[in-house]
Amino acid sequence: MKCSQIKELISRYVDDDLGPDEQEAFTLHIRDCAGCTKELEEIQAIHTLFASADRFEAPHGFATRVVAHLEEREPSRFWGFLAFHRTLLRAAELVLALVVFMVGIISGNVLMADRTSEKQTILANVHSSFSLDLFQATPPGSVGGAYVSLVGAADER
Amino acid sequence: MTPFADDPDLARRCIAGDLSAFGELVRKYQDKIYNLCCYMLQDSDSARDAAQETFLKAYSNVKEFRAESALYSWLYRIAVNTCLDHKKKARPDQLEDESLLTDLASSEPTPERLYQAKELGRTLQAALQKLPEEMRASIILKEMEGLSYEEIAEVLHVSLGTVKSRISRAREELRRLLQGKV
Repeated sequence: MKCSQIKELISRYVDDDLGPDEQEAFTLHIRDCAGCTKELEEIQAIHTLFASADRFEAPHGFATRVVAHLEEREPSRFWGFLAFHRTLLRAAELVLALVVFMVGIISGNVLMADRTSEKQTILANVHSSFSLDLFQATPPGSVGGAYVSLVGAADER
Repeated sequence: MTPFADDPDLARRCIAGDLSAFGELVRKYQDKIYNLCCYMLQDSDSARDAAQETFLKAYSNVKEFRAESALYSWLYRIAVNTCLDHKKKARPDQLEDESLLTDLASSEPTPERLYQAKELGRTLQAALQKLPEEMRASIILKEMEGLSYEEIAEVLHVSLGTVKSRISRAREELRRLLQGKV
């Protein structure tokens, strides 16, 4: 194996990732090559440096703060849910109010129509009860004349 | 029983909206995620913010978690992406920031050990920050978190060959940067 090929294997050798054939070729070359041996030792020193470098621990109270932050967010999820349904509720209220209003309008029109026909019926009854068929003609200015002109105007209507 | 054996059950409870289960998840992985963020971002404030953001994002997206993948690799993926997105405040004295080394001091009582750890940490931190972000993420996941090539490929959503190549180039670059200092 050439030095250029060995250099590509050094990192994998450090991680024990070489197959049997690669391992054998690598070992044979390293045994006789000072340059590659030096490079291998330097890479292994990097590996050792990492191994001896301390690991950082999370600051005191880190987990508590993260969970507290999440607990603060949880109510907003609930209120968001409720707010969405409040909007639906408001919309339903508006629709209901509109329906009641329309029903009221329609009912009012029906009632008005009934009262008008009732009024006309009453007037007709009054006219018939006060009918003065005995009189063929009425002198102007008389009560009969006033009555006749009143009945005549109602009929025209 | 491996430390990750109960992760599927934990994931199920988190997906079901169990906040106490998510608290367990945070306590279980807070050190790993924080450590990763420290080495990705260097300063402790940014690392703390990125770590917290990682867990908040995980909570918001827990329903997208697929049981076929490992819970920790899913968390690492969110953490790496959060760090890559994080905008570090550029300060001239950034490399001299000792906030991370203060964390070391809390666990290393002897002065000599503290000094050695400080020096090693400082040297490694400075060199890591000079690597391109994708290479930095790969070598940190390999060397600091002990993930396999396959696990790193899953976390970073890249091929196995890409992972091996990035780690090899990262080591080569660190070798060049740290020549004579290690």
